[in-house]
Amino acid sequence: MSMWNAPSRQTVSRRWAAVALLANCAARYVPARGAIARSVTLDVASDGDLLAFRPDSLTCSSGARVHLVFHHAGKYITQDHNWVLVKPGTAAAVAAAGLKAGEVQGWVEPGDSNVLAATRPCGKGEHASVDFIAPPPGDYPFLCTNPGHGAVMHGVLHVTAPRSTVNT
Amino acid sequence: MTRNRGLLAALTLCSFWIAASFPATAADLKSPQLVKTALRIFAGVYGDMSRKLAAQQYDRLPHENQEFQEGAQAMRDAIAGEPATFKAKVGPVLSKTLAASTHVADVSKSHDETQVKAALGALADSMKELNALFPESLRSLPGTVGPPGS
Repeated sequence: MSMWNAPSRQTVSRRWAAVALLANCAARYVPARGAIARSVTLDVASDGDLLAFRPDSLTCSSGARVHLVFHHAGKYITQDHNWVLVKPGTAAAVAAAGLKAGEVQGWVEPGDSNVLAATRPCGKGEHASVDFIAPPPGDYPFLCTNPGHGAVMHGVLHVTAPRSTVNT
Repeated sequence: MTRNRGLLAALTLCSFWIAASFPATAADLKSPQLVKTALRIFAGVYGDMSRKLAAQQYDRLPHENQEFQEGAQAMRDAIAGEPATFKAKVGPVLSKTLAASTHVADVSKSHDETQVKAALGALADSMKELNALFPESLRSLPGTVGPPGS
């Protein structure tokens, strides 16, 4: 049994220490860079019981991982709201398709290619969230597709070039 | 002479009573913001009803009426702390407005555009009457609640 080429206990300890140091550096470095440049949390709410989003203008950078949280801030009226991000110029078509899809589908037609992201409908006081990758730079409309709401309950997601990511 | 003095005193008393019953400014109300919100809720639901009529979505109008009735709680909360004389003025007009909203839901079952339009017109009139009980800065007349930022 040859012992001469087996690593000593001290060498093994040093190797593990090096691995741990590298892992520590990676853990500190990667999320820090990644989180700042590529992730964003956006908060949006209904304007109490009124048919409006507050704010009605959001910003993020293209390619960012967006975690959007929608809060139904209503207190009195039992009405569902959702938050639906659509391709430019398709809001009316998405609302019409949602109306056909009905309440069972959450007022969003399954597989609608014009829909980029959508939360589930939620009632007063509830929260709903959705995760998506921000599309190429441009202005993207968002709306509530509950019948009749989209005409007044809408806003715009401004997607900027990747460098100007805005974190909240 | 004594009769004239009595009349003058009665008139003065009446004007004090009217002044006390109708808040001249928003500051006179206990919860002006909630009054504003309640009137905006009514105007918002009315707008939604109008859009449903335009899209001939008659079957959705009873749901809008339900929202209108629920929104009335905001008004009740808003005037809860007001003097009884003022509440006595608002109560009947609010009831009339709610009845007008219910009528919209009732006639919507007919799917008759003319009837629904007339019912919405009557609702708008009641809402104007309700708005008139509050200071101008708090009012939201039917047809005025539009897109965000408007």
